[in-house]
Amino acid sequence: MQVYSIPNSIKKDSKFTFCKGCDHGVAIKIIAEIIDELNLRENTVAISSSGCSVLLYDFLDIDCLEAPHGRACAVATGVKRAHRAKGEEKFVFTYQGDGDFASIGLGESMHSALRGENITAICINNTNYGMTGGQMGPTSIMGQLTTTSPLGRNKEYHGFPIKTAEQIALCEGTKFSARVALYDVKNILKAKKTIKKAFECQLKNKGFSFVEILSSCPTNWKLSAQDSHKKIAEELTKIYPLDIFKDTIDD
Amino acid sequence: MIEKSLLKGNIAIARAALNCGCSCYFGYPITPQTEIGEFLSLEMQKRNLAYVCAESEIGAINMALGAASSGQKVMASSSSCAVALMQETLSYAASDELPIVLVNVMRAGPGQGYIYPSQGDYNQATIGGGNGDYKTIVLSPSSVQECIELTYKSFYLAQKYRNPVILLVDGLLGQMAEPATITQNPYPDIDTSSWRLDGAKDRPSRNIHSLEPNQNKLNQHVLKLYQKYQQIEQSEPDWEEYLCDDAEIILTAFGTMARSAKAICNHFREQGIKMGVFRPITLYPFPYKRLRELSFKAKYIIDIEMNMGQMLKDVRLGVLSNSQISFIGKPVGDWLKKEEIINAIKNIIKEQYASI
Amino acid sequence: MSYIKIDQNKCKSCYLCIDACPYKLIKKSNNTGTTGELTVEFSDTENKCIGCAQCAIVCPDIAIVEVNRE
Repeated sequence: MQVYSIPNSIKKDSKFTFCKGCDHGVAIKIIAEIIDELNLRENTVAISSSGCSVLLYDFLDIDCLEAPHGRACAVATGVKRAHRAKGEEKFVFTYQGDGDFASIGLGESMHSALRGENITAICINNTNYGMTGGQMGPTSIMGQLTTTSPLGRNKEYHGFPIKTAEQIALCEGTKFSARVALYDVKNILKAKKTIKKAFECQLKNKGFSFVEILSSCPTNWKLSAQDSHKKIAEELTKIYPLDIFKDTIDD
Repeated sequence: MIEKSLLKGNIAIARAALNCGCSCYFGYPITPQTEIGEFLSLEMQKRNLAYVCAESEIGAINMALGAASSGQKVMASSSSCAVALMQETLSYAASDELPIVLVNVMRAGPGQGYIYPSQGDYNQATIGGGNGDYKTIVLSPSSVQECIELTYKSFYLAQKYRNPVILLVDGLLGQMAEPATITQNPYPDIDTSSWRLDGAKDRPSRNIHSLEPNQNKLNQHVLKLYQKYQQIEQSEPDWEEYLCDDAEIILTAFGTMARSAKAICNHFREQGIKMGVFRPITLYPFPYKRLRELSFKAKYIIDIEMNMGQMLKDVRLGVLSNSQISFIGKPVGDWLKKEEIINAIKNIIKEQYASI
Repeated sequence: MSYIKIDQNKCKSCYLCIDACPYKLIKKSNNTGTTGELTVEFSDTENKCIGCAQCAIVCPDIAIVEVNRE
């Protein structure tokens, strides 16, 4: 009996073009599995963004629209509202990096949450700008060496990072906000369950749902895939705790 | 028969948009276009249509981008310095081939400037402030009646060519009321089912994106866009000629400035001077060809604008004759007065028309 | 007999599956993959594989394309 196969919502013969060991691949795979399980493929419009996450449409066999850098939640708002104007409810989610969601796009992201826009945002937090080669991002941690914080991030010179899932949880329109990780099987399964819950929040028409995925960037962290996961498990989860910060779906 | 009523330009645009089936509007307040959003806020909510008071103009134009992917008629409106904020997404929409109608009711710049009359966004609209090789269709009304007709045309051209269209409106016109008739939309609806995103049901999945890492594919994409622009340049130039047939002096002007130009033309005609007015209605595609034809009979081409000569360069590109090309303009403030313009014209033409 | 299928063209040699397998049934192969390093192969001479799919779950490159459980 076949107990595992590539999800139907992954394009046939597609080959992920992410760097070796990058968690983007696992994130996209579990999103595809959830789309299959909830039977959403034929009713979904996904919004990708700039950075490594833009490539979503190369791998997912669903309708996808690319947003300008940072604007995925605004674009998703337009998609959702437009279909609603014709009396149709489409399933709309964004797939963004932390720079996209929480730096350049924080205004659009947070206002979508504040309005309680009935969309789901998935944010890959790998604590740096990956595609451009590992610059300091809004989530780079104190002391982190990046190509634009070569002496390490420090609060006097660079300022503090953002804890995105906690901040988004504060918005009244947010019904679900959580942070998950993908560093081992247990956490991947938990992440999938959490993202599924966020998707169901939208399907129940409850409002904004958000999942931040603590992810590895082995290339820019200059670590192996294994050591990247170790760093997430032992170091990053202490700063960015894995938790559900808000769940008022059934209130 | 539909009767004329006293209508403000901004309201006329909003009513025409509703009338031709615009189902999505996104905006942010800025004078002098705010009445468009105010009017639509109630009308669209009553009809269960999409209306979002966006967090910023960047938010608004990106909501419009998303909504346009649904294949529906989508509009955003703003003014000058805030349209500047939207330029990035116009470049995306052009590359994505998504139809968005953007109304720019102009104020004076540069920077925040003020809400004084000005036509300072000719360059911003026709050349574009976004990156890369792209074009936006630009329509320029000169009356409230034309605000209605060109709003219809904007939605039609946006969907016909799958391209953003800018309706470039003088602040004066947005704020001014004059008798006009809400006519019926004369254009057919365009079928968007071959490209819109609405879920991959009974068809392969689609994606709309501007990123293209493959050099050849990106080249092909831009070349394909330019084939479309070439078609637009052949089929869509639109203009108004006023007494141009025998004109030895042609005044060129767009928007409300052309109304003053016509009054001035009448003044000189009364004195026996063969003057005409040439008014581009499509600023892109600019009606170069017709202006070129007319210019061979003209001794003088005098361009009049409420800016420092932005359309002037297109006039120069159009005119291949030996006509003398001059410019009369003022960047900001009170509309150029008839007497000011008449004196300036007399100064220009005095060598050949010594009698006046 | 449970078994998995690995697509050698997709494997980027991150070796996360090697660590994930509770029975250590995945090891480096002799085949050089797209990243210039050795890809992985499944070798289960003693029929230890239980088809738990942990290898497939952690694979970031959908290179483990099938898990079959007896």
